[in-house]
Amino acid sequence: MSLKPSSPHSSRRAGLGGEFCVPAALAIITLIYLVSAIQLGPPMKAGNMTASFFPIATAIIMLIALSCAMIHALRGRARASAESSSIDAESHDEIPSGRQYAGLSLGAIGVVVLTAGYLLAFDLIGYFVATFVYVLLLCCLFGGGFRDKWLTKLIAAIAITLAGYLLFEVVFQVRLPTLWSQ
Amino acid sequence: MDAISGLLGGFAALANPETLLYMIGGFLIGTFFGAVPGLTSVLAIALLLPLTYSLDVTTALVACASIFMAGMCSGSITATTINIPGAPSSMMTALEGYPMQQRGEGAKALGHAALGSMIGGSLGALLLMVMAPLAADVALLIRTPGKFSLIAFALIVIIISQRGSITKGMIATLFGVMVATIGIDVVQPLARFTFGTGVLVQGIDMMPLIIGTFAISELLVQADSRSTRTVDPSMIKAAKVRRRDFIPPLSEVREIGALRYLKSAVIGYAVGILPGAGGSMAAFVSYAESMRSSKHPERYGKGNPEGIAAAECANNSMCGGAFVPMLTFGIPGDPTTAIVLGVLVINGLQPGPQFMTQQLDLIAPMFASLFVSALILIPLTLYLLGPYFLKIVSIRRDVLYSSIAIVALVGSYVATYSTFQMALALVFGVLAYYLRKQKYPTVCLLLGFVLGPSLEEYCRRALSINDGNPLIFFTSPDSLFFIALTAVFFYFMVIRKPKDNGLGTRPA
Repeated sequence: MSLKPSSPHSSRRAGLGGEFCVPAALAIITLIYLVSAIQLGPPMKAGNMTASFFPIATAIIMLIALSCAMIHALRGRARASAESSSIDAESHDEIPSGRQYAGLSLGAIGVVVLTAGYLLAFDLIGYFVATFVYVLLLCCLFGGGFRDKWLTKLIAAIAITLAGYLLFEVVFQVRLPTLWSQ
Repeated sequence: MDAISGLLGGFAALANPETLLYMIGGFLIGTFFGAVPGLTSVLAIALLLPLTYSLDVTTALVACASIFMAGMCSGSITATTINIPGAPSSMMTALEGYPMQQRGEGAKALGHAALGSMIGGSLGALLLMVMAPLAADVALLIRTPGKFSLIAFALIVIIISQRGSITKGMIATLFGVMVATIGIDVVQPLARFTFGTGVLVQGIDMMPLIIGTFAISELLVQADSRSTRTVDPSMIKAAKVRRRDFIPPLSEVREIGALRYLKSAVIGYAVGILPGAGGSMAAFVSYAESMRSSKHPERYGKGNPEGIAAAECANNSMCGGAFVPMLTFGIPGDPTTAIVLGVLVINGLQPGPQFMTQQLDLIAPMFASLFVSALILIPLTLYLLGPYFLKIVSIRRDVLYSSIAIVALVGSYVATYSTFQMALALVFGVLAYYLRKQKYPTVCLLLGFVLGPSLEEYCRRALSINDGNPLIFFTSPDSLFFIALTAVFFYFMVIRKPKDNGLGTRPA
């Protein structure tokens, strides 16, 4: 795994941090799920489990586990802030971690935005154009911008688009949307 | 007799040029994905999953088996040459392989790794062929309450094997179970959690979940990196290996001893059967046992071929063991077998006790593929491609990840010819990215998703045939056995935690 967690120092500065926010977000999803499960009907009927029993039980156990995770995160943060004054004094010159928005790095946001755009374009303008543009932009994102080796990126985008078409449409006979079939 | 002829038929099926081509192709893809740091054989099989819609099931299973075997052994390439394990299962190999590389014995270390993988993989495949029919006979004895307790046992062991993050393992597993409840109820014809949308009535397909969790989240993680290549080219120049040095000296092989190979293979196979354990756990346990029983434990950590042999033998033998619970009980214990289960389900097949006897002709080629991949393809690939391994795995990241993105996204489209599946893959990818960032085990998410519906179904069936009395789980002998087994595992893995054995590392 090449996932590098942000340093404890930087996460301390960034409010509650992912350690708390991820279980908190999951808790909101679980609450919606629990309400929806309760709306399915009573969990037991004539001594038998109904369709809502298992989801309700799962949601309750999940909420307990999430509460534990959030309490653990809050305790960890309190411990960290108690130690922070001494660390702050020693590490003024620490290299700041990369910019993050809603817990996503700029690179990850780029991939999400490009992929969402690709999904919209895939049905609208067909496989070829959408894939070529998507691959070209991804190549720029992963390869340090468009100016650096732009010809290689252009060739790579054409080659990957054609290889994808050959693999899916020709070898595995999957009908891909095309601009002329719209 | 029928079983033996069926298994031999599996080897005959590999003689079909198309099947053979997929096995070799799968092995090469698995080698590449296993060797490139950051990529895993699980990702390779995940990307193959959409293609299985167009493939014959036997061919797909043969390719999956060879990818699995190749991915387990190829992590040792970068672990030895540049001290970066290509896969988590090669962590122990790096401890011994890299010191050997530093003293100019890198090729020999790779030779020992390949020999250990070859022996372990072959023995694991043979044990699978021998033991799986026996396990299937045992599986026939398990009734509905026992099936519930068995699945609960599997899920609990998967959670508690996430050492140091049991709460996170539990959250990820339960989230997987919750996602699996979306759609038609497992017992009644009632739609659940559709939130008024028609697209969710059929439930969440396994494919976008797998593609999102393993492929899209990897793209998001890799987008943070600034390097332009997967492996720094300066490292390649410093880590040259020569083909003629690959064959390990007979004296060293004798010193390792047949017993150590055999013991490591049995350990790996046994660990493979356990849910959630995986290759890294197999390598870790085998390495620790090898060090404990060695005449020269002081040589460990300084480039000892014994350690490489024990770790590689065990992680490849694990491949055989991992298939036993999936094929006989329909319970996958790791992501690879969960995806293989997906291949079977896509083709309308449901593993279980009768599966081994009724569908042996379909799965025997997969067993044969595991065996042939280990016995022939591992040494052959090392000899032919060994000197070029590092050049091959040092690929431009822009080309690599763009290609993965296209195969993953267009692959998601294949299942239903709708961009909704692609959007779901993106949603699961973002979710898995957040989970991975906070060190939640995404493997638990997948296994919870796969095992959740069976857990609910058997629980409700067991209670309905016993008038809602939950005591049935404690009075039924098979169920009681699995509850006791769960208690034993919980005691040894949580209450009496394994002590630190001084290796300075632990399984991933």
